[in-house]
Formats: sequence, C-alpha cells, structure tokens
Amino acid sequence: MWKTVFRREVQHNIYSLRFALSLALVLAVFVAGSLSFVRHHAADLDKYRESRELAAKAIERAAQSNATVLAVGKRAYDFRPRDNAFLADAKEKYLPNSITFSAWNVFGFANKSGSANPYLARYDELSWAFAIALLVSFVALIFTFDAVSGERENKTLALSLANPVSRGTLLFGKFASAVVSVLAIVVPAVLVSLIILTVSGTASWGWTLAGETAAILAAAALLAAAMCAFGLLCSVLARRSNVSLLLALTVWLLFAIVIPNSSGFLAGNVYPIEPAETVGKRVRQAFDDLNKAAPPGSWMMHSGNPFLPQHELRADLQRKRLAAEKAIRDDYYRAMFRQFERTRRLTALSPIAAFEYLAESIVGGGYPRFRRNWDDLHVYQGQFQSFFTALDSRDPKSPHWINPSEDVSTTREKVSPDLVPKFAERAMSSADRLSAGLPYLAVLGAAAALVFFLAFLLFVRYDVR
Amino acid sequence: MVLHIARKEFLNNLLTSRFLIGFLLCLFLIPFSILINIDGYRDQLGQAKLDRDAAEKTMAEVRVYSGLRPVIVLPPEPLGIFGKGLSAQLGNQVKVRLGLKPLLAEGKTAARDNPFLASFFSVDFVDIAAIIFSLLALLFSYDALTREKEDGTLRLQMANSLGRSLLLAGKITGILLTLLPVVILSFLLGGIIVLFSGDLAFSSAEWGRLLLLALISLAYIAVFVFLGLFVSSRSRNSVTSLVVCLFLWVGLVFLVPNLASTFAESFVPIQSRDNLDAVLKDMDKSLSDRLDTAEEKLPQPDWNTNWYMNSGEDGYLEAYGCTASLFERYRLGTALSEPMRLDNADRKWRPQKTYLDSLSRQARAAEKMALLSPAGIFRAVAMAVCGTDRRAQEKRLDDIRRYRETFVSWLRGKNIFEKYEYFTPTPPAQFKNADALVAARSAGRFKSLAEYEKWAASITDFREQWKVLQAAKVPGDKPDDFPYLAIGDMPRFQARPVPAAELLAGSAFRLGLLLFECALFFALAYVAFIRYDVR
Repeated sequence: MWKTVFRREVQHNIYSLRFALSLALVLAVFVAGSLSFVRHHAADLDKYRESRELAAKAIERAAQSNATVLAVGKRAYDFRPRDNAFLADAKEKYLPNSITFSAWNVFGFANKSGSANPYLARYDELSWAFAIALLVSFVALIFTFDAVSGERENKTLALSLANPVSRGTLLFGKFASAVVSVLAIVVPAVLVSLIILTVSGTASWGWTLAGETAAILAAAALLAAAMCAFGLLCSVLARRSNVSLLLALTVWLLFAIVIPNSSGFLAGNVYPIEPAETVGKRVRQAFDDLNKAAPPGSWMMHSGNPFLPQHELRADLQRKRLAAEKAIRDDYYRAMFRQFERTRRLTALSPIAAFEYLAESIVGGGYPRFRRNWDDLHVYQGQFQSFFTALDSRDPKSPHWINPSEDVSTTREKVSPDLVPKFAERAMSSADRLSAGLPYLAVLGAAAALVFFLAFLLFVRYDVR
Repeated sequence: MVLHIARKEFLNNLLTSRFLIGFLLCLFLIPFSILINIDGYRDQLGQAKLDRDAAEKTMAEVRVYSGLRPVIVLPPEPLGIFGKGLSAQLGNQVKVRLGLKPLLAEGKTAARDNPFLASFFSVDFVDIAAIIFSLLALLFSYDALTREKEDGTLRLQMANSLGRSLLLAGKITGILLTLLPVVILSFLLGGIIVLFSGDLAFSSAEWGRLLLLALISLAYIAVFVFLGLFVSSRSRNSVTSLVVCLFLWVGLVFLVPNLASTFAESFVPIQSRDNLDAVLKDMDKSLSDRLDTAEEKLPQPDWNTNWYMNSGEDGYLEAYGCTASLFERYRLGTALSEPMRLDNADRKWRPQKTYLDSLSRQARAAEKMALLSPAGIFRAVAMAVCGTDRRAQEKRLDDIRRYRETFVSWLRGKNIFEKYEYFTPTPPAQFKNADALVAARSAGRFKSLAEYEKWAASITDFREQWKVLQAAKVPGDKPDDFPYLAIGDMPRFQARPVPAAELLAGSAFRLGLLLFECALFFALAYVAFIRYDVR
C-alpha cells in the first residue's frame, strides 16, 4: 500500500509549481557555481604556482648560502587550491591555510594574507555543498510543511484514511516521496554541473570523483530526510497549513541562520580560551627565566669563529628557548583546536551545519585537511631535522653545536636543493574522511529518525477532520 | 474609505498567527543579533584600548626620532553593533612607516585569538532585518488579493461603489500599518538593549543614524510588500502566490548576494598578494644595495665600536657611547638613507595602489551585482549608514596616508634626518674621540685606542677584552642616561567624524534605486490589480 501512497505523492510533488521552481533555482545555482569555479580555479592555480616558484627560489638561495641557513630559516607551506572545491569549498580561504616551519620546529599557522579580499564581505561560495545546505533544506520543508495540515484543509486526509491504509504507512509514504522529490531536483543539477566541469577540463572523471559525488548525494539525501522529517513535524503540529508554514520557516531560519551564525559567539563564551597576549607574555617570561639562568657569555656573538666556546652555551640556550616556546604555543594551539571542534559539535545540532561539516569531510578539505597537514608537517619536520643533523655530522669544520635559531655553530657547507627532503601533501584516505565525518553522519541520521518518529507519534493522535 | 479598509486589514492581520509568530521571531532574533554584536563590539573596543595604550606607551618611551613610528589604532564603529559590515574581518591598526605607505589595516580581526573562528560567520541586526522584514512583508501580502478572491469577498467588495485604486490603497496601508509595529519593536528593542547595556553610549549623531536606518527599513519593507502584492495579483490562488513569493525571498535575500560575490571573485580577479610582496621585497633589496654602495663612500670612523646600539625595521637606529666619528658616520648615513627610504616608499606605492585598486574593483563589482536584489541594496545602504562599509574603510586608510605625509613633513621640517637626534639623544658637546673614550672607560689604564688594541691582541677571551673597558662609567653611554623625547609638537592622527550627509551622499544612488524599486513594484502591482479578474 505504501507504494501507492509513495507513487501518488511523488507524482503530486513532481507536477507541482514548487517542484518546477525548485528545479529552476537549484539548476541556476549549480550552473552559476560551476561556471564561476571553472573560471576562478584556473586563476587560483596560476597564482599558487607563481607563489610556489617564489618560495622555491628562496629555498634555492638559502641552500646555496649554506645548509644551516636553510635549516634555521622559517618557511611556509601554503595549501594548494583544492581541485574538488566545487563540491564543498569548506571555507578554506578563511581558515588557516599556511603553516610555518623550519628543520627544528613547526611554528604555527595563519590565514595567508591575500587569501580573501578584505573589502569583500565574507560569503559562502556557490559550491554543491552550499547549494544543497541552503536549498535542499528549504525545498524539503516546502514539500512537506502542508503534507498533513494542507490535506486536512482540503479534506483529502480523511478520505485517504478511509481506505485501508495505516497512518504510519501514509506518513512514511509522504516522507519517502518528499525525500525522493528533493533528490530528483538535486541529481539533474549535479549532472549538469559535472558536464560543465568535465567539458571545461576543470574536473577529470575518475573513481575518486565518482565516490565523492555519490557520498555528497547520500549526505544530501540524509539532509533532505532530516529536513523532511522536520517539515512533517511542523505539519502535524498545526491544524492549518499557513501555521505549519510559519513553523517550518522558523525551523529553517533557526537551522540555516541562527545556529550556524552564533558559532563565533558560542566559541568565545561557552569554550573561551586564553587571550593571545597572555600566551605571548608567558613566552617572554620563559625566555627571561632561561636568559637569567644561562651562564654568562651565552649571548656573546662572533659569527666569524664557529668554535667560540660561548657559541656552545648559546646553542644550548636557544634549544631550551625553542623547547619552552614550543611547549607553550603547542598547548595553546591544542586549546584552539579544542575550542573550534567543540563549537562545531555544538552547532551540529543544526542538520544544515552538520551537513556542511559532513561535506567538508567527504571532500577531504577544510579543518580535517588542515589537521592532516599539521600532523604530517610535524613528521616532515623530523625528517628535515634528521637530514640536516646527518649533513652536519659529516662536516669536520662544524663544531656540531646545534643552534635552532642562528647560523653560527653548525655546518656552513652548501647543499643541493634537490637533496633536501620535500613536503608533499597527502590526499585524505576514505577511512580518514569517514572517521572525520562519522559524528555528523550520525547526527543527521539520528535527527531524521527521531524527528520522523516524533511526527509519527503526533500523527497517530492527529484529528484528521 | 481607504482608512476603513486599512483598519479592517490591520485588525485582520493582527489576529493572524503569522503576526504572532513574526512578532515572536523578531522578539527572539533581534536581541540575539544585538547581543552577539555587542559582545563582539566590547571585545573589539577592549582590544583597541589595549592596543592604543601599548602604542601610546611605546611612543612615550622613545628617545630618538628614528624610533618614532606612530601606530594608529582604529576603534570599532559603535553602529557596527547594528551593521558590522566589514569591521569584523579587517585589522584594527595601521603602522605609519617611512619606508612603506599603509596598504591595509593590520593587527587583530574579530576572529581574535583563534584564527579558525574566522570561518564562523555571524549575522547582525541588519542581516536579521533584511531576512525577517522581507519575509513578513511577503507573508502579509502574498494572499492579500488571492485569499479574498478564494473567499469570494473580493467580488463582494467590488460590487460596492469602491474603486480598485482605493481598495489597493487601503490594503497597502493596512499591511504597512501591520508591519510598522514590527519595525518599531525591532529598533526599539535594539535601542533599549544599547541603552541598558551600561558601558555603551551612542552620540546624538549615532541615534540619528539609527533613526535613518529605521526609515530605510520602511522603504525596504515597502518594496517587498509591493512585490508580494504584484505576485498576488498575478496568481490564480494563494498557494501559487505563496510558493512564488517564498522562492523569490530565498533567491533575493540569500542567493543574489552570494552569487554577486562568487561572480565578482571569479570574473574580476584580484592581483596576487605574493607577487606584490615579492615586488616590494625586490624594491627594498634594490634600495639596500644602493645604500650599501653609497655608504661605502662615507668616511670610516676611528673606532667602529658601539657601547650600546639597537637597530630595527624602517630605519630605526639608536646608538650610545660611540666615538664622535662613528656618530658622524651614522649621521651621514641617515641623512643619505632616510630620504632614499621615503623616495622608495613613493615608488612602492605604484604596485601597492594597483593591488589595492584590484581589491576595490572586485568589491565594487560584487556590490553592483548585489544591487539586483533589494536585500543587497538595503544591506549596502545600511552598512554605509553604520560606517562599516568598504568606502568608510578606504576613507579611513586615505586619511591615515595623508597623516603619514603630515608626519613626514614634520620630520623634514625639523631637518631631522641630518641631525644626531635622529639616532642618539647624546648632545654633540659630549662626543669624544676614540682615545679619550678608551681612557675614560679603562679609568686611565690605557691612554689611547692604539695602546688598548695592542693589549687586546694578546688576550684571546673576548670577555676579558671587554671587561677592562667597564672599569669606569662614561656618562651618556646607555639609554637610561637620557630622558624620553619631547614630542608635544608632533602631529597626531585625528579620526575625522563623517557627517551623515556625506555617508548618504555615497549611497544616494542605492537609496534612489531602493525608492525606484518601490515605485516600480507599486506601479506593477497597481496595473496588475486593475486588470485582475476578481471572479
């Protein structure tokens, strides 16, 4: 029986004006987003290439100077513009996208200046994830807000229930048909977008893209299910369709606007962290303490003589300073990560926000990508350090007093830039993406199931007259 | 008669659930947005105070002119509580340097201590008003005609001696009267929260600008009311009208502004910041090479040793306890380097300006495309009124660049680059030659530099060599021997308050466009209703 209900509802939806309008709007957004991605991705890659060439030249200059200059010099790893950013841009241009390191430390991270135009108000790019988060959630509510209250007003609900069909079957039929109708809008838009991106040569079709597309569509289906469940809940909560519409719009505003946009406020007030100034003060204090405890002459400079005994004292002091600062700053970075992660977990109460975080994990971008690079750079820094210490130990002219900040008491031999280990970003594996997205997947699934169950409970008691 | 119809509409609307829910939504969302932004404003204000205190302390503790590099701290705009505009994403300070004209504001942004928080967006009163006012306007107008047609009451009214114009005027007045309390409540709530927040004080000009914002909101609401009526008078039934209105709402309020920014970013690209930085670095390198060449020709000092010396970016040099000839060498050096540094800054301005122009061009393109939506126009005008839009920020930076010129003229007026005070407070009367300095420091153990150097050549421990020169204290060989610089006559940066008329002058076109849209949608609604089949 539910198939009959399902078929009837799907037909009803597909022939409706709302379906036509939704399709037109979603298609327009996907086409506009794809065209704009084709245009700016190529330009972004050019800029990135240019900036990497400048960085490579700087490395070459340092290596030609000597290996110590190369080892102590701070360098930045800037994230490459992601080829699959049309699926979800994950706000990468606003997140930290540059990590500074040397052979001795991974110092910190920042949002690279020039990543976003400071005179352009921050906005969400028209990626698939944005279009789905905003429009699918809206369309799902528009398809369902009057599913029960509207039929009651038209007197067809009582008529339907006069047939041998249970309330559960009827509600589930409506629910499933709304989800399918929403997907019937998204799938053509995704296909059109893929055609534009493939024809323009911006995206190359392969198993990875196929998997990511399928995963994004599955996540969209989950979001649609959660929002359809909320729509049905609004519909059974009210006796009249215009009241259920207002409830549905309120739900949408709450999930799409209020919760995601209060993240910064929640982060600062629910999960506050130390001000950066305090951390800076602690670092300065640690430096002062170490300077005071250092033997006299530790700061004596004479770069012409690497074997000056004071250089050993200063090398020791600089190592201690680095370790002390690293301990304080790494602790602070962990507090930042915790604050950000906890805030996101809190805002994942909104299925729309949860979907965006899930999409970010599916494409292997945004915060999970940052964390992966952050961890990998620490591994790379260890390799770079080993490479340098091996180089230094082979140089008889070096006193081997490791000083992580200065070019004084380690090897002054030149090094070929080709021999220096290079950092290469690894794409996130499916398992990594799944583990990053799993909590949000669970939130969406649970929201869909619980809210539908609640709607069912209310519908069972609904007066259909 | 118009008033009669308006009263009926008004009372009818008051009793509806949409009025109640709309009212409740405003009651929740407006304080929510204001409280969030007050929180942000307080943070920015606290940060600005910290930074200003730090900047003033640094300036007050300077002993040489080369250390004078004013830091201008930009306090947040109080009206940013209502429309934060760009204020949350821009830095809060600008350093005035000789070697570089200010490009953009630096320092902390609203993301404050955790850069990840910059990826969290936030809404403000203006955003909420743009969303809620338009939604309510459409919800009250979408079925103004279709509902009455469906109920058969429209036919009944038309059977009386009542003109369509009068009926429409009555309906419009009724809907606007219904929405008026919502607007008043929203602004009143905002004002009350500000008044009772204790530490926030708006000037009368700022209250005036808030009132202006309320009036602009009314024009914005009117656009959507007329749009809703137009859709209503072109639809056969309420459901059609509602669906069309809702999609128009999502499209105009949420999609067009995003579409505008996305397209602007893709089709009006900005220049590469890395490239600009590299160009500026090359120009600095070239300056440094030219300076090295020029300085080679300067006479060498008799003893190239500083007792205390500190140097840093942008020509900062502070030296104490040098010989007269080394002081002279420094003086000749700064007389040469600082004008060249200023000249280099003028040259660097060309690539900087090209970069800045590309930022502005892209932002302007997005602003122009956003004019396709009344919400885009409303937001742009509101930001201008709040003083948090691009123009306001660009004006601030232009003012700071002008201040830099004044500051440089002040330095030049003192002919300071050619004076010793640029790098040392030691009066020339206290300068000594190398022999006298060695004799004084070694408390007479050595009579001349040659005698000391002969002795030092036999000592391998640098510390020992240095220790003998610490036998006696020579006055003026360290900073603490001198007071801080008296800079009472230094020109200070004064933020220029922008009069409301100037703020609006920049937005006159947008405001005109908003009013034009009002008139256009009214005309369309009117014509459509005149031709409307009421059966």
